[in-house]
Amino acid sequence: MWAALIAARLIQLQVVQHGDYKRLALQQQQRVVEVRAPRGAILDRNGQRLAMSLPVESVCVDPLRISDVAVASDILSKILNVDARELLTKMKTAVDARRGFLWVKRKITPEEARRLRDLKLDWIEFRTESQRFYPNKSLAAHVIGGVDFEENGNGGIEQSLNEQLQGHPGEILLTADVQKRGFASKIANEPQPGQDIHLTIDSSIQFVAERELQKMVELHHAKSGSVVAMDPRTGDILAYANYPTYDPNLPPQRQDLAARENLAIAAPFEPGSVFKVITLAAALETTSLRPDSMINCGGGQITLFGRTIHDDHRYGALSMEDVLARSSNIGAINIGLKVGQEHLYDYIRRFGFGKRTGIPLPGESGGIVRSLRRWEKTSIGSVAMGHEIGVTALQLAQASAVIASGGLLVRPRLILDGPTVKPVRVLKPETAITMRGMMEGVVIKPYGTGHRYARLLGYTSAGKTGTAMIYDYQTHKYTHFYNASFMGFAPVTNPAIVVAVTINRTEGKSGYGAPTSAPVFREVASAALRMKDVPKDLPEMLGEKAGDSSDGDASYEDDVAIAGLGSSIPPPLVHAESATATDDRPVASAPDVLDQRGLFPRGGTDPAPDWAGPRAPNFQGKTVRDVIEESAALGVRVEFAGSGIARGQIPEPGAPLPLGHPVRIQFGR
Amino acid sequence: MSARPRVLEPGHAFEVPSFPNEDVYFYVKRIVNTGVLREADPAARKTCWRMIGYSFLVATLAISLLLPTLYQLMAGYRMEALRQERERLELDRAALELQESRLVSPARLEELARMQRFVDPAPDSVVYLENKSDQILAKK
Repeated sequence: MWAALIAARLIQLQVVQHGDYKRLALQQQQRVVEVRAPRGAILDRNGQRLAMSLPVESVCVDPLRISDVAVASDILSKILNVDARELLTKMKTAVDARRGFLWVKRKITPEEARRLRDLKLDWIEFRTESQRFYPNKSLAAHVIGGVDFEENGNGGIEQSLNEQLQGHPGEILLTADVQKRGFASKIANEPQPGQDIHLTIDSSIQFVAERELQKMVELHHAKSGSVVAMDPRTGDILAYANYPTYDPNLPPQRQDLAARENLAIAAPFEPGSVFKVITLAAALETTSLRPDSMINCGGGQITLFGRTIHDDHRYGALSMEDVLARSSNIGAINIGLKVGQEHLYDYIRRFGFGKRTGIPLPGESGGIVRSLRRWEKTSIGSVAMGHEIGVTALQLAQASAVIASGGLLVRPRLILDGPTVKPVRVLKPETAITMRGMMEGVVIKPYGTGHRYARLLGYTSAGKTGTAMIYDYQTHKYTHFYNASFMGFAPVTNPAIVVAVTINRTEGKSGYGAPTSAPVFREVASAALRMKDVPKDLPEMLGEKAGDSSDGDASYEDDVAIAGLGSSIPPPLVHAESATATDDRPVASAPDVLDQRGLFPRGGTDPAPDWAGPRAPNFQGKTVRDVIEESAALGVRVEFAGSGIARGQIPEPGAPLPLGHPVRIQFGR
Repeated sequence: MSARPRVLEPGHAFEVPSFPNEDVYFYVKRIVNTGVLREADPAARKTCWRMIGYSFLVATLAISLLLPTLYQLMAGYRMEALRQERERLELDRAALELQESRLVSPARLEELARMQRFVDPAPDSVVYLENKSDQILAKK
């Protein structure tokens, strides 16, 4: 009978009530453990981390378990460096409200956590949270953006790709023994870590872009500036910088709201003369004008439907390429008139102005391009030289890439493995090639507005300067503050980098596009080409320096693209020879008088007319063998660099050659 | 065996009187069987070995059934320990990656370069290696 009773009890416990007891056992043994799913990192194209998340601890207390809240608040405030009185008030309020939970401080340092743990107080609890770190501080801040306290993106890529970046933590059911040691686990919710985002940005180029931009903005006491560097073949944005900038590690402050503005995409501005590139490209495609076609520049003045527009310099007639090189407003207007409103508008749209580029950053502006029916009669004149239109720095880079890529509109790309948009042909290849040559003229022609500041060592370069007066909407007048811009690319024959620079609110002639923005182009393009291992297409002239920032030459002064306000007496026309005469660089290197490809003097100025000794022979275009033979015959010692054909030499041909002094020759293919 | 007296006698005051029929009830027949040998039983031996075999089998079965569970339990402990270690290592790695990113940030590298007085080489101090003989120069 006993046996029967025991068996019955066993059956009741192990069979009938099996489920209940199992549930009770599991409740005792199992606990839910959260599995981290960190927010995805943001990396540059080389894998350098720009943003990443790390778990940090937050401290909370159970006020109902604290015997003396005054003592507790005193202890905690000393370790956590929080206000003791405020903490005490919070604790008392929580106790009165019978609340068993109170945050003391969130996201504490490991040292603070260690000191608190050492106290071994059972009413102190720790919670693990995640914190976003930006190890490079302000580098690419406007691209990356930032997150709020809950790690939700509130700017830049962090905001626009928040869904991809954000991780969703999982849960596991952990079965533990009496000592809380887990011995079995089951995934209740699969964690979904955030996806890493690889940007097209190159940290090194980005750093150079930010450094040079800051230097120039501060040097010229400008208000702000933007730089966009882009690969014209893929549309990859290699650098994207705004100044002023901010450190996304720090919480937003009221005073740095302006620094958080993403100017390169959100602040359209009148581009000024850089826009002449679009006017001239449209002319090449829609009219019979060619680079050598002569354009009437009206002696520096034109009257357009009753509105008189002045040029800074008085030119009678210029070839179309010189209109670009000298940045003649009247020439550009006359070209615009030939193109006509419809065609000009069409090409403006083709170049991507007036619509967003589609870059995945919040707050992008499409710029301001008025529809044709809202154009006034004189608008053709204004638009042809870059007024009555608003563009962003990114749009300028995109437009420049059209020329650089051989006529294809390549959409800027910021996510390395993101979707790509198929390039659209907007210009004939021959037009793009012609435009490249004309834009190269801006840089290499001694009277070109960018010749002093935009030349690169070892690479051909092309570009266009722009200086647009800023319109004051309060007084309805143009001010004497400028938007100084430069857009260009390099090398000319096979462009690998496009750079668009704009510096806002510069002043005086030193605030024109050439001396302010072109040097930024030069430094960024040089760094990018070096870092991308782009083969040089020019021999690096020994002793040559790229353009300096001295104000010895005034050719860029032609650049101001504001009509109707140019009442100043134009300075005398600066010729190539006179330009070199005012050049403050050594004549021996004399880069300003050298053709960019030929690298030999254009002018015939004798650097030492009184020299009676031997002079350096001209080895230009000769092979190594010819140079050896000729130098041996002349008894001149030569030193070689490179191979191929003689591209440059020091001393230059005809320059004094002291006895025993070698002629150093740079060969190139 | 002599029966005890049923009536108390002097000198045996504390002795328990004999029970009735004590001699009958407590009679023990003395048998000496040391010389008797048990006959060998082959069936019993067989049964014994069978029992041993069955016991071993049952024990083996029980162990083989319980052993995986035991191993599973031990593996569970090990796995949980490893999972926690992996989490810790991932945190350490993330912290190191953050540290590395800070160390190789372009701003820091430039600052270091500036302190070490590293400068871009002057154009005339750059030698371009274009053939094998130039590599000797590079080694110098």
